[in-house]
Amino acid sequence: MFPAPFKVNFLQQTQIQVWTDCRTMLLPFLVRQSLCCPQVLLTRCVRALQCDAPRTLHSQAEHFLQRRLPLRFHTQSRGAKSRNRKSKSQEEEWKTRNKTVLTYIAAAGVGMIGLSYAAVPLYRLYCQASGLGGTAVAGHDADQVETMKPVKERVLKITFNADRHASMQWNFKPQQTEIFVVPGETALAFYRAKNPTDKPIIGISTYNVVPFEAGQYFNKIQCFCFEEQRLNPHEEVDMPVFFYIDPEFDEDPRMARVDTITLSYTFFEAKEGQKLPLPGYSYN
Amino acid sequence: MSTAMNFGSKSFTPRPPDKGSFPLDHFGECKAFKETFMKCLRDNSFDNSKCRLQSKDYLECRMDHQLMAKEPLEKLGFKDLMDPPPSQADRDTKP
Repeated sequence: MFPAPFKVNFLQQTQIQVWTDCRTMLLPFLVRQSLCCPQVLLTRCVRALQCDAPRTLHSQAEHFLQRRLPLRFHTQSRGAKSRNRKSKSQEEEWKTRNKTVLTYIAAAGVGMIGLSYAAVPLYRLYCQASGLGGTAVAGHDADQVETMKPVKERVLKITFNADRHASMQWNFKPQQTEIFVVPGETALAFYRAKNPTDKPIIGISTYNVVPFEAGQYFNKIQCFCFEEQRLNPHEEVDMPVFFYIDPEFDEDPRMARVDTITLSYTFFEAKEGQKLPLPGYSYN
Repeated sequence: MSTAMNFGSKSFTPRPPDKGSFPLDHFGECKAFKETFMKCLRDNSFDNSKCRLQSKDYLECRMDHQLMAKEPLEKLGFKDLMDPPPSQADRDTKP
């Protein structure tokens, strides 16, 4: 790092001067090195010179040293100041950059929270439009029964199933195992229930349609479900179900392979004062 | 199963019937009509299209005995059985 050793010579005063000038130029890079190092070297050289050369040279060298020393510190401090300014501006730049980044992140966070709130009605709309999850397609019209035309080409088999809860003592079964209908045509089916016990039993039923997607096309005009039905001891009744399959069933591509629909009723015993949740309200 | 709590699993939501629930026929007033209907079904291998007249009779019986709200039969989808047979080809459902 240091140039050639200190050559003491009157002719080489210029050399010394050049050397010291070079040193000042190199000072910013020399900062990290210990300050005493060049000094020590120089003083050593000077003392060596003292022994050999005449006093004038020594004094000149000293003079150069002394002159250069404050300069060195001066330039050092100047470099430090410029360094400080640079780092300050850099710091400021970093600060503003950090601020913008933080603002963006905060905005994204708030946006996510808002999106999660908005997702609830949006998802409901999407489900209604696409019919996912078996949600009832909006626009099921009661007047449709009057105007619908049966789709004679598509014959569907409706199978009937009857279940009861374990503690329900009625005998409950369908009166026909299957029936062939076409979409757009109203159909009638019967179940039979008998109360073999000696006390009246109140039953309430719910139904299920398999496959689930076909359930949205299965429209019941009238049935015996969701209302309490009371059977006196040893009484037997016929329970009709009046229904139709929506004609749009034939146009749904998802239903293209569906030929059998199963309607399943389950009876439960209704306890006094028990209030069942009404179907049609989304509670799932 | 309709009770499976999977996300994305298709579940079934029961819907209430359009016109509510049938009152129970405790006295068997319309049992005869029901028997005719069931016999018709059995004879026609359970084809509903062939027994629509009997189902119409059963519902009329119910309406007469106050077991069902009175409604014009068109609203119950029996429009084709009511009118004199029109010249439309797909209206022919009389057995």
